[in-house]
Amino acid sequence: MKWYERITKIDRRIIYLLLTSLVILPFFVKVTIPQNIMPQTKRLFDFIESIPPNDKAVMISFDYTPQTQPECHPMAKALLRHCFSRGIPVIGLSYDPQAPGLALDAITSIAQEFDSLAAINDDSFDYGVDYVYLGWKSGRIAAQLDMGEEIVGVYPRDYFGNVIDSFPLMNKVRNYKNVAIVVIISSADYPLDWIRYPQTRYGVNVGAGLTAVMAPKYYPFLQTGQMSGMMSGMKGAAEYEKLVFDHGYARTLGTAETGMNSQSMIHILIMIFIILGNVGYFFSRRGKKGKTGDIRE
Amino acid sequence: MSSDPWIWIGAFLTLMIFSFLYKDNPFYKFGEHLFVGVANGYYIVFYWQNSLRPNLFEPLGAGEFIYVVPLLLGLMYFTRFIPKISWLVRIPIGFMIGWGAGLSIPAYFQAEVLRQLEGTVVAPTSFSNPTSGVWSLFILIGVICTLIYFFFSKEHKGVLGHTSRLGIIFIMIGFGASFGYTVMARVSLLIGRVQFLLGPWLGLID
Amino acid sequence: MKRKLPLAICFLMGIVMIVQFFIPHPVSLEFGSVIYRWVIVLTAFALVLAIGNLIRHHTYKISKRKEDWPYSIVTLAGMTGMAAIGLVWGVDPESLYQKIYLNVMAPLGATMFALLAYYMASAAYRAFRARSLEATLLLVSAFIVMIGFMPFGQYIHPRFPAFAEWVMQVPNMASQRGILLGVAFGSIATALKIILGIERSWLGGKE
Repeated sequence: MKWYERITKIDRRIIYLLLTSLVILPFFVKVTIPQNIMPQTKRLFDFIESIPPNDKAVMISFDYTPQTQPECHPMAKALLRHCFSRGIPVIGLSYDPQAPGLALDAITSIAQEFDSLAAINDDSFDYGVDYVYLGWKSGRIAAQLDMGEEIVGVYPRDYFGNVIDSFPLMNKVRNYKNVAIVVIISSADYPLDWIRYPQTRYGVNVGAGLTAVMAPKYYPFLQTGQMSGMMSGMKGAAEYEKLVFDHGYARTLGTAETGMNSQSMIHILIMIFIILGNVGYFFSRRGKKGKTGDIRE
Repeated sequence: MSSDPWIWIGAFLTLMIFSFLYKDNPFYKFGEHLFVGVANGYYIVFYWQNSLRPNLFEPLGAGEFIYVVPLLLGLMYFTRFIPKISWLVRIPIGFMIGWGAGLSIPAYFQAEVLRQLEGTVVAPTSFSNPTSGVWSLFILIGVICTLIYFFFSKEHKGVLGHTSRLGIIFIMIGFGASFGYTVMARVSLLIGRVQFLLGPWLGLID
Repeated sequence: MKRKLPLAICFLMGIVMIVQFFIPHPVSLEFGSVIYRWVIVLTAFALVLAIGNLIRHHTYKISKRKEDWPYSIVTLAGMTGMAAIGLVWGVDPESLYQKIYLNVMAPLGATMFALLAYYMASAAYRAFRARSLEATLLLVSAFIVMIGFMPFGQYIHPRFPAFAEWVMQVPNMASQRGILLGVAFGSIATALKIILGIERSWLGGKE
């Protein structure tokens, strides 16, 4: 077998082994490469930065599944840290049936962090005052539209079964007029529904944290201003973590940042494999052309 | 290493699915079928707790008899199993499809047609910054050529042929960018699993 | 009657929802809310139907001893067990139901998606060939994005990340918008055809 044929026939198990090794290696050989921040991530960050504290709330729709947790969970945590650090109240909700467990994990872990910080500062950080998790609702389009009139009509009780009228936060935030932005952290096309329905009817600002697969599709909405910013994939999560860290809202970078080194290695590996495959292909074509005087595929 | 049995269960199930990379085997099949079963059980409880009980049975119990209408419509779904009256299943389907179609038309127009056309149109104000004005023109040409490529009612010859060729160039650049992002997405999922195995399970990383 | 009644209901619902969108009066909004709640209930009934189909499929496989029938027992046991645990012991954050969700369902689902990384790498190596101008453009664009958005991209050239961002914001955005507009026009046309009864494939059946 000629060398150019050999390089197109590498066994798939070798590819799998190389891939696995290069994912694992950066966890033990730590190299810090500074992130460059994409404009759409900065736009979302700046929007949240511009919201005055204790004024309007940020509504976060946690709509990702365990399958996309590595990309979306760090986004959720970084965004929560940002909002809580700035004193911006957060209303959480979900429309994906698999999301509430992950939403609760993100909210409770960050809330506990701020609760312990508040205790040190002789302050308080309370459920119902600083944040509320409304839970999951089916018929999302209906719920999204109805919240434009009154949130309590859609969610009479929160995820834990408490009457939401009893919360000071929900007495302040009655509908979208009291919501600065809705950020949808999603692994499906949930942001499109927010743009099509509540934004069209009520003019609510929309931001998103999306898996990298979906991000290219949403650039037209960024350009028209229908979206006020976007985090794209694990890179977007790492960028937001960096912005939050650089502004002093977090003491450490998160899990997305540590995953970026593995990302870089795998990207290089895949590009090398594609180049190898194409080099082998072109030399095979040339070899066949030399023999027959004609190009055959 | 973790001492939490739940972490060990998660780790073993992860390795069972990864075993498919070598070849299909009983461990993978077990994990796959367990996932289907547990996921369906999850949805049953979820929809009962969050959908049927609060939106149908509780209002009916409280005397709001208007909810008999959705109850009857919902029960009509099961008529598909009774051949003599199976045509009744078309009623709830017609209700849902009509509702969805009617709701979507103005929403699609506003959000995806009018606003997107607004963003594509090049006006003199676009050239307030010359560079962004040039790119706005580029985008306009790209959008028109892409739309022309997907117009199959006329043969792609002459002017139509050239513009659709330009359209395919834009589409290929767009698909290439999407592929790049897709690589990032898929690798992220693998990194997440490896982080779980190395971290919470084996305790080798923070 | 068997076709006319559903078509009439579809037409009525379609027209009502279009008109309702443009009337901001409280009565119209309340009407919309009531209809929305009915849709929630109907969605849940559709799930009941789907679960019934799954049970039917797997019990048939077991009764007829079809290939891999023991795994059907795993599926049915998993479904029954999870449903029973959730319905009997509740769904609180500390419940067994949530523990099974986080430690059984989540790892299984996440790992299935993680396998895609391997398949994608193998497929890209075997099939991604620059056979034509279009394929070459796709390849080059993919490389630009893959390099530009990684931290090391800025060390190849300081403006590489900005160039990758330009590729996303200009040519990619143009093609995505063209596709978005095409899909929107198609969806609106299909929705109109359904409401007006021109598209009747959803009726199924002969009579």
